[in-house]
Amino acid sequence: MHMADALLAPAVAATMYVASGTAAGISIAKLKKDENTQKLPTMAVTAALVFAGQMINYTIPGTGSSGHMCGGMLLSALLGPYAGFLSMIVILAIQCLFFADGGLMALGANVWNMAFYGCFVGYFLIWRTIIRSGWFRNMETKAAIRLKIIIASIAGCIITLQLGAFSVVLETSLSGITELPFGSFVALMQPIHLAIGLVEGLITSAVLVFVFESRPELLQEVNSTEKGIANRQSLKTTVIILAAVAVVVGGGLSLLASSNPDGLEWALFGNAEEGYAENMGLDEEDFGVKSSAADTAAMVQEKTSFLPDYAFPGSESAAGTTVSGIVGGALVAGAAALICFIGGFFRKKKRPGTV
Amino acid sequence: MDKIDRAALELREMDELAAMKSPVHFMHPITKLIITISYILTVVSYGKYDLSGLLIMALYPLFLFSLSGISMGICFRKMRVVLPLVCAVGLFNPFFDRTPLFSFGGIVISGGVVSMITLMLKGVLCLQASFLLAATTSMDSLCAALRRLHVPMLMVTLLLLTYRYVSVMVQEVSIMTTAYKLRAPGQRGIHISAWGSFLGQLLLRSMDRAEELYASMQLRGFDGSFRYAEGKKAGFPDYLWAVLLPIVFLLLRKYNLAELTGRLLMSAGS
Amino acid sequence: MICFEHVSFSYTEGHPVLKDLNFAIRDGESVGLIGANGSGKSTLLRVLLGLLPHRGSVRVDELEVEKENLREVRRRLGLVLQNSDSQMFMPTVAEDMMFGLLNYGMSREEAEERTDEVLKKLGLTELKRRHNHRISGGEKRMAAIATILAMDPDTMLMDEPTSALDPYNRRVVINSIKSLSNTKLIASHDLDMILDTCSRVILLGGGRIAADGPASEILQNRTLLESNRLELPLRYQR
Repeated sequence: MHMADALLAPAVAATMYVASGTAAGISIAKLKKDENTQKLPTMAVTAALVFAGQMINYTIPGTGSSGHMCGGMLLSALLGPYAGFLSMIVILAIQCLFFADGGLMALGANVWNMAFYGCFVGYFLIWRTIIRSGWFRNMETKAAIRLKIIIASIAGCIITLQLGAFSVVLETSLSGITELPFGSFVALMQPIHLAIGLVEGLITSAVLVFVFESRPELLQEVNSTEKGIANRQSLKTTVIILAAVAVVVGGGLSLLASSNPDGLEWALFGNAEEGYAENMGLDEEDFGVKSSAADTAAMVQEKTSFLPDYAFPGSESAAGTTVSGIVGGALVAGAAALICFIGGFFRKKKRPGTV
Repeated sequence: MDKIDRAALELREMDELAAMKSPVHFMHPITKLIITISYILTVVSYGKYDLSGLLIMALYPLFLFSLSGISMGICFRKMRVVLPLVCAVGLFNPFFDRTPLFSFGGIVISGGVVSMITLMLKGVLCLQASFLLAATTSMDSLCAALRRLHVPMLMVTLLLLTYRYVSVMVQEVSIMTTAYKLRAPGQRGIHISAWGSFLGQLLLRSMDRAEELYASMQLRGFDGSFRYAEGKKAGFPDYLWAVLLPIVFLLLRKYNLAELTGRLLMSAGS
Repeated sequence: MICFEHVSFSYTEGHPVLKDLNFAIRDGESVGLIGANGSGKSTLLRVLLGLLPHRGSVRVDELEVEKENLREVRRRLGLVLQNSDSQMFMPTVAEDMMFGLLNYGMSREEAEERTDEVLKKLGLTELKRRHNHRISGGEKRMAAIATILAMDPDTMLMDEPTSALDPYNRRVVINSIKSLSNTKLIASHDLDMILDTCSRVILLGGGRIAADGPASEILQNRTLLESNRLELPLRYQR
């Protein structure tokens, strides 16, 4: 579910950075208040473990395929939502830098889609609610907790993955990247992630149940009967945090969709992309295309977007653009060859004996 | 080869790349960060049909690959993970956007095709830029740079420590996977009977390791705040590049150089 | 000077790991702490450093090992962990060595100087800028020792310093230990190494001190060693 830079418009990427950054800032403040210096090494080692653990293939019985575990749920169940969230950020950053999973600019969106839902929604709304609930009261305590862990993991993985997948669709569509209609995109993404979520949930629950059987004190919320009162207060904080973040995201995204798209999309150049208008369901002729059509892209767009039918424009200027574009392309290729030569020359000259 | 072993190899490879010596490696990490981000922003800001304008941006990674002496093949190998999603999204464009854009040798090229190729090219270029940053900068100098940029201490320290233990954990998982496979020939992954215990065992051991690590930090006077090795000082060329290259990107974005030159040549010819 | 008086410790009530230990280590002594797996060697080191609570009195010089003295106690003692990966958490060897020095208020220049000095002394200068996850097991162990040595502790505590090393690296480690003038307390069941490096041996068995005396005597006492699940050092076997 890692998004690449190319799938995001800068404005959307920036919004997601702000949203994820806000959540991270709150988490850091929360952890600092704890003043538990031991948390840091535990977070680092657990994050490293989850990073490696996500590469383990688990055979899905009855099929030839394999699944993986869900990092966000596992981390927040072990470390709590705040530490879990920060650990997830670090995992995603390392994946982005060293394994080219997702891009530098898309990191904010990836953190949101994979870490925020998994850690905050997954923890506060699902894990904590279910573990604290009075379900299976008639059963033996241990068996009841085991069942609750399984249900919470599966529900958590499915729901957080659905939210994540939906966000991917939303972010890509808002960025005007794909021509795929919003509805079809959703219909394509959600069912796939339902299946993935179920498998991830099962694997995650297996790991968590194992931890519960061997060292239950490692799991958040489990064995904390008296903590219930103390945590009441943090429920309020949670709601406030969730609300604040929702405002940031909602505000950012609705700004994008507002009636003045020119100011919001890559304002620097003022080229209107019709994708925005289409996806927002706004009327193309009201704005956008008429705005500064300075560069060729906009010119081409203008020519094409006003064509009512699918007839080829046939204008010479369009053909002319093509030919000059090809000539220019050849020049670029020539320059590339030259650059490769010069670069190698510099390198050899400056640092002999390296590489 | 297993995914986990490949990851171990890739980590190793990135370390080796970052340890190389070239003008790019010697550049200040903050400078590289600024240039990379401005490059990515510029690339993604291109219009979806603006293929000819985007082409010129391909020169930057080419130049850097060449200057740093890093092989482009490594980068393409890494892209197999994330590029499929970009391609999948792009592949739908030709079906939904059939607006003809221009004809080339009698074949009508639709807007969807152009936007698909543009999207894929954007994906490749952005990944190359990120890869080049990571491949020419060691994690510790990157962390020092992040501290300079006032990224919270907790975050940077967490990144540093996690990175240190990623290779340890990857190695442990790799050993366990091998041990498992040797006793379970023909299985493609971990059987359901071991779903919990396989990672669970390692997790419990890791908790002990975390305790040991914490003890080791405490014994050397750790009081909750990290004292960092100072990153290297930025010199004049570092400042120059940090300002110059983003401006160049902006200019290239504003004026389609390929097309301008092409048009100039054509008009001179006619 | 390290002094244990009636020291006991238990993880869970009723199952003591250390039972009423009494001994003292004078400055400059090299003491081997031997015993089978689970005899309490590592626990003893942890109690001494204040990482685990204890009953009785543990003193380092004039300082009682308790919360308010921990910082000073830990400055005087240096523990080399058995697992170097847990010990070396910074990216490079040099940064790991400087970590402790900076925490104790040394300036960066001084710390760097001190680092160079120690690396040179141990013949590890080329390791300085290397990454901790990219050096071999033997190099890692030596680097871990360097990390502690850089802090210039009065007493070096070592937990299995020669475990999982090849014969060559084991010899390198033994020689470096021998060359140190600090007080030493070395927990191990590599009895040959203990014989090489220590003049006195404390034998732990079931959480108690089973024997305390000159290394040459205890390590030749086959019955004593075997009753504590140990064997004679190789060189005394025939």
